[in-house]
Amino acid sequence: MFNLQTDRDSRRFGWVMSGLAVLLPASLVLSALTGSIAIDWSVVAETIRTGRPSIDHTIIFELRLPRSASALVVGASLALAGVLMQALLRNPLADPYVLGTSGGAAVFALIVMLLGLPTQTVSLAAAAGAVLSLTLVIFLSRDAGGWSSTRLLLTGIVVASGWGALISFLLSISQQSQVQGMLFWLMGDFRGGGPGFVHCLVLFAVLVFSLFSSRGLNLLVAGTLKAESLGVHTLGLRLALLIGAGLLTAVAVTLAGAIGFVGLVVPHMMRLVVGSDHRRLIPVSVMMGGSLLVITEMLARTVLAPRQLPVGVITAFVGVPLFLYLLRRGSRTQTQ
Amino acid sequence: MGFTRKAFGRTISAVLGLFFVLRVFAEVVVIDDVGQEVALTSPAMRVVSLAPNLTEILFFIGAGEQVVGVVEYSDFPPAARDLPVIGSHNRFDVEQILSLKPDLIVGWRSGNSQEDLDGLKRLGFPVFISEPGTVDDIVSLMERLGELTGRQTHSLSQAAAFRASFNTSRETYSTRRQVSVFYQVWEQPIYTLNGDHVISQLISLCGGTNIFSDLKQLAPVVSLESVLARDPEVIVGGGVFGQTPPWAERWQSWPTVRAVRNRHIYAVDSDHIARMGPRLAEGVEALCLVIDKARHSS
Repeated sequence: MFNLQTDRDSRRFGWVMSGLAVLLPASLVLSALTGSIAIDWSVVAETIRTGRPSIDHTIIFELRLPRSASALVVGASLALAGVLMQALLRNPLADPYVLGTSGGAAVFALIVMLLGLPTQTVSLAAAAGAVLSLTLVIFLSRDAGGWSSTRLLLTGIVVASGWGALISFLLSISQQSQVQGMLFWLMGDFRGGGPGFVHCLVLFAVLVFSLFSSRGLNLLVAGTLKAESLGVHTLGLRLALLIGAGLLTAVAVTLAGAIGFVGLVVPHMMRLVVGSDHRRLIPVSVMMGGSLLVITEMLARTVLAPRQLPVGVITAFVGVPLFLYLLRRGSRTQTQ
Repeated sequence: MGFTRKAFGRTISAVLGLFFVLRVFAEVVVIDDVGQEVALTSPAMRVVSLAPNLTEILFFIGAGEQVVGVVEYSDFPPAARDLPVIGSHNRFDVEQILSLKPDLIVGWRSGNSQEDLDGLKRLGFPVFISEPGTVDDIVSLMERLGELTGRQTHSLSQAAAFRASFNTSRETYSTRRQVSVFYQVWEQPIYTLNGDHVISQLISLCGGTNIFSDLKQLAPVVSLESVLARDPEVIVGGGVFGQTPPWAERWQSWPTVRAVRNRHIYAVDSDHIARMGPRLAEGVEALCLVIDKARHSS
């Protein structure tokens, strides 16, 4: 009986992975194909061959693909951060921002915008704010036994509230013209240019670490004491998870402001499909998060073209029906 | 019952009588931009201005000495900077306004909060609400504020001069070859203006075409790709007129745009072009000049 379940789950996992392996590149191609301008592919091919610049080539390779690549990295980072947070805090309502990282990033980014500094510094400031917030929470929530889930959660929520108040304050003292730009950033807006080397490196490193720690993560969810007794170095693992999730969130807000929903819901969506085993959950969440954000980035550009909507708004529009559908299907199969 | 009816009748007559008396003795009556009547018994001597452009207009028509309170960023003319600041345009200090004892408050419908303006009316102040959308609206505003402040002659001549400078620009530039213009309000995200905005109308006056005039929203966010698709001949935004604006650097990555290739990225003073006031005349001159530069060397 136990074997049967594993077989069925493995088969399901196989299907899902294959599906996502197709969806991910398909979404990138679709994103490259759609936009405000109809692309003449022969011109693009010629530019690749001869090196002569053309607007078609520029649009594909310097505008659309970098944005899609950023969306991929951000979606994957947020989904993975969500998985790690939910395991770390053993709380299904945890998302990457629950420990205040996005709040800290937002405050620093808004301060830079308020001071009228060049736009390149906004991303740097956001990264600094995210890291600072994370350090603050780690420092404040430590007690004799390490970092208990409750303490982390409570400290994180309080720090996030503090940042939230500062954000409101900054919005209220800013000039009208600045406020519009700030709100757009807060709703989730992609910077120009693609993901940097550092962002990809962080994602890759944390992903590899998480996959290797999958067994530990599975046991951690059962409880710290149980995990310890089964040989997991919980203190080290939990600290590493915290830092990993924090860095991933920093990468995400640096590239795209505060995009909600992905980090909270994608792990749950994938749990409904492949179960809670982190060896399966992590790869599918990462791929699903990436694909989802690539598609929503494309929609944000094209739905009301030439107007551009903030990506964070579209993510919920796309994700909520999807999640509700999976939730209903999941509960139906359970009762059967 | 009879007693009440008689008293009622008397009260009605008294109120009507008072109304007519006030109308007869109201020396100044103008209609503001939201259709409300503003009646003063004598020209206003203590005016509070709730927007920087209104402060500029008041000084322009010769009523500068009569302004007793302004909001933040009322920085022109220099004399306005010495006036007491009563808050920002959407959050002002009513107590401070009260302490200044104004006899007229001039507000701005889309810039001030309607609640705040209603609150001031309830306190008994005459409130003139402006909402100029075109150059003609500004001219009419100047004339009406001139009436309210007792500066009719000066305001009429100033308003006429203001209108004349626009006519000159129109005659000079509107018939020349049309130039496609992209007006960038903000860099990140890219905000622009549609055809209903006054700046778009000024672009037409200068013989230009706003590439986004067809959009429905007044100040929409557009994608970089759509700007590339519409390939403007000149890009104009806020900054210091005559100097290359700092945001021009970001455009250098996109040489497929004509404006970037031919180096037609210009700044005009935001305070001139974005404020519905007397300096709009200077703003339109600068705008026409830069559009003309693009016209001749594309």
